[in-house]
Amino acid sequence: MTEPAYEASSKRTIVVYSVAALVSLIGLADAIYLTVQHVTGQSVRCTITSGCEEVLSSPYATVGNIPLAFIGAIAYFTAFALATLAAFQYKLVGRLLTLQVLLMFLTTLWLLYLQAFVIHHFCQFCLLSALVTVTLTVLVSLANFNKKPA
Amino acid sequence: MKRLLPFAIILVVLGSALGAAAWYMKRGSNAPGAAGAASGTDSAAARATVVNAGPGAQPPHFRGSADAAVVLEEFGDFECPPCGQLYPILKQIESEFGPRIKVIFREYPLTPNHAHALAAAKAAEAAGMQGKFFEMHDLIYENQAKWKTMFDVRPEYEGYAKKIGLDIERWKKDQTSDAVDQRIFLDGTRAHGLGVQGTPTVYLNGADVEFEKLMKIESLRDLINQALSKAGK
Repeated sequence: MTEPAYEASSKRTIVVYSVAALVSLIGLADAIYLTVQHVTGQSVRCTITSGCEEVLSSPYATVGNIPLAFIGAIAYFTAFALATLAAFQYKLVGRLLTLQVLLMFLTTLWLLYLQAFVIHHFCQFCLLSALVTVTLTVLVSLANFNKKPA
Repeated sequence: MKRLLPFAIILVVLGSALGAAAWYMKRGSNAPGAAGAASGTDSAAARATVVNAGPGAQPPHFRGSADAAVVLEEFGDFECPPCGQLYPILKQIESEFGPRIKVIFREYPLTPNHAHALAAAKAAEAAGMQGKFFEMHDLIYENQAKWKTMFDVRPEYEGYAKKIGLDIERWKKDQTSDAVDQRIFLDGTRAHGLGVQGTPTVYLNGADVEFEKLMKIESLRDLINQALSKAGK
């Protein structure tokens, strides 16, 4: 085993990646909640407390037979893993995380568009996910901004 | 050691995430009236809630045969989109099984989340006072997409009342009657007693039908056939 190669990066970058890892966990918890709700059929039913039914019972809530929330859970877990490795200064991981968060951000924009202009309803759990992704985008941008050139 | 630490953290989080998902899934499935509750398995918990629940509005609105061995009891909200999706499925099931089954509809309007759900329930119940509950029920569901975005649904429902030949003045009066309020209240009381958590919820001979199976005609048909065979019909 060789020692991991470290990138030249500031202490601030490490903090930013650590925060990104913690923020990813919020997204992961949200996505797991929505996935279980979807699998057990609870989110698809109408309830007094939830305003999510129109969004979560729409055709956009699944990709084929896979709940979108499950794909989200995998994405947040991957973001968490990459942010953790980046916080431990593993080389190239920061770039992978940047690429992934960019994809997640674009997907979030598309999902917000669908909620606003196609489904005409907003789901608070989906909005929380959007907020997490936007925060991750900001954090990853900060980390890239802070990095010293290698 | 330091190089292994991030991987250890990642593994711990992965394990916790999977554990939390499994726990929550199990909890969701075991909750009385939850969508994931095992259908067809009349667990002790499910039976206990059925015993403790009130009878609901009497006589109930039903299609099929009064003494059928297989009884489907739906708790529905006219404004709820999945209830609207279930409507044609149940209609098809009713036409396939005819008098071999009994399909009861019970009111469970989810107000205030659904602004027109109570008005729709009252319109249907008032039609029921003139023996035309299901005629109104069908029209309300068939036009759900049209009226749910309206500000005032009363003229729309009045159009349905005229279409099915109701005495309009009596229908209007009945909508504000204690009898109609009482029916909706009693159905709601039964729903609470059973632990209904959302709509549509359907009980097949007292057992909560799993949502995924409910919304697919093939699986619902299979469940009914199994119940009929069990009853020797």
